[in-house]
Amino acid sequence: MTHAPHPTNAPDVKAEVRRAVASLAIKALDAGSTTSDLSIDEELNLHSIGWEPVQLVSGFSVFSTPAGLWNWGQGEIVAAGEAHEQAFKHAIKRIHSEAAMAGGHGVVGVHVERRVYSTHVEISLLGTAIRPVGAKEVDASTVFVTDLSARDFTMLMVAGWQPLGLATGASFVYAPRRTVGTVLQQQSQNVELKNFTEAMYSARETAMERMQSDALALKGSGVVEVKLIEGPMSFAAHAVGFAVWGTVVRLAKDSHQLVRPTMVVSLNDVVETFDPSALA
Amino acid sequence: MTSPSDLPEAAVRRLRDGAFSSGLSVSDFAACLELGLEPVGLVQGFCAMQQGTYSMGGLSRSLSPFGGTPGGYVQNYQCPHGMVAGEHRMWGQNYQQTWVENAWVEGFTSSYSRMLEEATQLGAHGVVGVVDTVSRLTDANVTEFHLWGTAVKVLDTPAPTSAPWSTYLAGQRLAKVFEAGYVPVSIVAAVSSIRVWAYCVTEYLMEGMGLWSNSTAPTEIEQIVSAMSHVRSTVRTSARDQLHGDALHGADLQLGEREFEKGDLEVEAVLRGNRIRRYKDFDPLPVPTPTVRLS
Repeated sequence: MTHAPHPTNAPDVKAEVRRAVASLAIKALDAGSTTSDLSIDEELNLHSIGWEPVQLVSGFSVFSTPAGLWNWGQGEIVAAGEAHEQAFKHAIKRIHSEAAMAGGHGVVGVHVERRVYSTHVEISLLGTAIRPVGAKEVDASTVFVTDLSARDFTMLMVAGWQPLGLATGASFVYAPRRTVGTVLQQQSQNVELKNFTEAMYSARETAMERMQSDALALKGSGVVEVKLIEGPMSFAAHAVGFAVWGTVVRLAKDSHQLVRPTMVVSLNDVVETFDPSALA
Repeated sequence: MTSPSDLPEAAVRRLRDGAFSSGLSVSDFAACLELGLEPVGLVQGFCAMQQGTYSMGGLSRSLSPFGGTPGGYVQNYQCPHGMVAGEHRMWGQNYQQTWVENAWVEGFTSSYSRMLEEATQLGAHGVVGVVDTVSRLTDANVTEFHLWGTAVKVLDTPAPTSAPWSTYLAGQRLAKVFEAGYVPVSIVAAVSSIRVWAYCVTEYLMEGMGLWSNSTAPTEIEQIVSAMSHVRSTVRTSARDQLHGDALHGADLQLGEREFEKGDLEVEAVLRGNRIRRYKDFDPLPVPTPTVRLS
């Protein structure tokens, strides 16, 4: 059996490392002290389409809701939905302006932390501002904020689409009280609790509609990577909440660019008999 | 602690003789050798810091607000109700707890320099796969800092003449950093701590608007927003100040919060990452080819 020779153009990694380490003795050029929470893979992904990280950016907001808001009532708990919407919008506005000030043309990989308490709603966003390599000018009106990872952003751009911003929607609805008679009647039956089902449908419709109107306001044609949180509130079991958010996108080119994946077959054994990392 | 003589005698003896030790997994160890980095020892640094109490916890609300630390962020809030009562919070204040930050930085820096000192003793060029833990010891005000990593020598290069470089990365991820045209300089860690003394408006808003609010519409809690925004921007500025023109890569921001009473908070942010320097231009990269794995 003969072995194929190593490709002659393969980089000599050891020589690269020696060269890299030797360069530490030379004074660094000021590259602008960029900060980012991206991995090296994500940075290389961005670089392949001509983008680079600029700065770690964040946005925070907390909105108070009226006392007694979650007590029994009927229909939507309007103030809770408003607080959620306002907190999201203010946090987005802040991360957007931090990105624009840092010279970013957009923010990718935004982590969304959301906390809903009985008395206030808190939204915290953290992501990395990015720009086309070496770009100087920023048009603040076109800075986008997306929770897509750098990898997904790369694929989206390659496919001819662009992210426009985050769209959100939330609604909180009381599940109407059943009458005492109904409770007694249903006690020993397998029965659907329509009050809860209907409350959930009502919250879903309102929240989705709000997200859609955000998307239309950004002149988008759709929302991708929609995240969804739903269920009874931990502090008020008779109320249900439904919250969604995602990235608004639209075609940047004339038509969708087909990204045809290459099929690969791994030649590794299907059954792994030894995992070296288990020794760590 | 900067001179090698500070190391315990037993440590000096152990580092001088015998087999190497390393915290690397087998696959990271293999990747290290592939890069021409030879592990020479598992190096560590400890520091237990007691944080001086500033007796702020006992400050009565009837006194004037604390004036803040020179150079730190301070913001004052005044009750708009014109009411004087023992339980009514007439003033509020956000301030940066620079003494808390200083204790943290001193603890981290000491254990970091102790780890580097061991690496220097071994003649290492760098420390890879650094792990750091910061934990509270039994006493409330005592924090233990522990850093460890694997000291490496770069094969076929002269002995080091400066302090070792360091990175949280190891294995394939470190290899990709070099291949992308970066060289690790050091790990970077920064901290920011802000104390929030809520004034009446913040207290009521955190409890749900009621008695003292003129509106039933959702209202933003400005004092908390200001503290939360500052803790994030301060920690970023502090990390950037350590970069000297290099880049911070793979940053990890940890946020902590303690609530003493409604709106009375202590918020803390810790930002860690790898300071890296570009040593050559990016090689042009083709657009990645998506693949589907058939299994």
